Amino acid sequence: MSSLVRAEGVSKKFGSFIAVDNVSFEIESGKILGLIGPNGAGKTTLLKALLGLTDCEGQLSVMGLDPFRQRKKLMQNICFIADVAVLPRWIRVRQLLDYVEAIHPNFSRQRAEELLRQTKIMSTSKVKELSKGMVTQLHLSIIMAIDAKLLVLDEPTLGLDILFRKEFYANLLNDYFDEERTILVTTHQVEEIENLLTDIMFINEGKIILNSSMDSLADTYVEVAASGDDADKARGLGPIAENKMFGKSVMLFKGVNREHLQVYGELRTPSVADIFVAKVKGARK
Amino acid sequence: MINHQLALIKRELWEHRSIWITPVVIAIIVTLSNLSALMLAGDFAQHLDAAIFGEQKLAGDSERKAVLTAFFVGSSGLFLFALAILTVFYALDSLYAERKDKSILFWRSLPVTDAEAVISKLATAIIVIPAIAIAAILATHLINLAMTSVWVSSKGGDAGFLIWGSVPLLDNWLAAIIVIYAVAVWMSPFLGWFMFVSAFTKRSPLLMAFMPLVLVPLLERIFLSSNPFGRAVWGRFASIPLFSGTDVQTFFDEGHVIDEEKVSLLAQIDLQKFLMSIDTWVGIVICSILIAGAVYVRRYRDES
Repeated sequence: MSSLVRAEGVSKKFGSFIAVDNVSFEIESGKILGLIGPNGAGKTTLLKALLGLTDCEGQLSVMGLDPFRQRKKLMQNICFIADVAVLPRWIRVRQLLDYVEAIHPNFSRQRAEELLRQTKIMSTSKVKELSKGMVTQLHLSIIMAIDAKLLVLDEPTLGLDILFRKEFYANLLNDYFDEERTILVTTHQVEEIENLLTDIMFINEGKIILNSSMDSLADTYVEVAASGDDADKARGLGPIAENKMFGKSVMLFKGVNREHLQVYGELRTPSVADIFVAKVKGARK
Repeated sequence: MINHQLALIKRELWEHRSIWITPVVIAIIVTLSNLSALMLAGDFAQHLDAAIFGEQKLAGDSERKAVLTAFFVGSSGLFLFALAILTVFYALDSLYAERKDKSILFWRSLPVTDAEAVISKLATAIIVIPAIAIAAILATHLINLAMTSVWVSSKGGDAGFLIWGSVPLLDNWLAAIIVIYAVAVWMSPFLGWFMFVSAFTKRSPLLMAFMPLVLVPLLERIFLSSNPFGRAVWGRFASIPLFSGTDVQTFFDEGHVIDEEKVSLLAQIDLQKFLMSIDTWVGIVICSILIAGAVYVRRYRDES
């Protein structure tokens, strides 16, 4: 597989504040990568650098292009939804399609119209007449009608209700994703997307603290719920995090053999959120 | 490139509908007031009109020509004035509104460079808005001359000669086109300034744009004996080097004899003088620098 994105020693400073701190990583094509981090971790800055919206230090290439200096060329092969509210409120749906059709060489109007027919959005409506969920549907319909190699979604479902959120990701997976395409998504609601991710990257205080495939994440991390003496023995193996739950100690282990652990209590596969919390707390110590 | 520009300019017209609504409204107002003047004119006005246009031909050719020319200049001036104000507000809004409603993130997610986007807005202000004004002026003139012709014919006059034959229509329209585009080019430093302010200001582009234009000349007056900036800025309105010899005032003065050549508005214009003027080119350079500044700001500023 080829690398779609390659970052080496990428940094971005705002005055004395370091938003992205000497970050290196690669994204291979055909992946769905979740970029997870608390507010102010540098997620959005990193995405902006990838999208050529901001300049940065270090080596960064997206599909072999320098994103900041070759943004126009890059945008022919990248789509992004930066935030749900960015479609201009004054425009009509039909005008929006006219415009994108004229501007974007890889846009299929037919496809966009097919997708829009599945919604309640009328081609004569103005964006400001649509609900927030419908605006997202509209944006997604346009994005999905663009034949792009990389789709970047920055908090795409922020402020939407649960029905729209589920539908959004279902549409994305069913109608858009294939081996040729790569999706990079950031969200606060990691539990909603962890099942569809192939890879995950944690970012905190500008640094990448975890970069792994979901498969190896499940192999590497394990949780055991133990009590009494068993808990003490398990603790001896060096858990990276521990919580009390229903009188039991729930301990998170990294790289510890499951067979060693299962004698102390019930084993569970930890959620991404649990691993994330443990990692961020660990990084603060 | 050209197709991109057309799509971008179309986009501007969708967003700023006042660009074409305003001239349509003015055309309707001019036409309706002319119509009501023809229909509802009192006896005296009727006689006057009949004297000027009618079969009696009491007045001479020159009076009729002067009245028609006044209509040309007056109605064209009305469009020019309205479109100038419209352009100021358009320019101030052009790079500010997209940041305010955050739609800039959507526009920038498409394969269009910042230079292309800013140039489309400049082209809208300096080419498209004047073109729409010219189309509206021509349409207004044609409709109103046609209406007046019907009225003259109903009074037994020969409209072909009295109306259409009195003034050099094509010359006057060409004059209107030249004046409007020359004014657009002449005032382009202001356009560049307004677009630059629109690109960088965080709030109230109107205030931010006019404050220095008012404050700096004021400070010049207080602290300096001369006011070069104030004169360069506010003096520019009246100093367009486009007109030759006769000005509009003497043109309508009583006793001023309009010779056949001078009735054409085109004859009042000295395009060569305009194009050779150093001030014209200084303005173009200033506009270009400010537009480059607007492109730079749109490209390099981090909106987060």
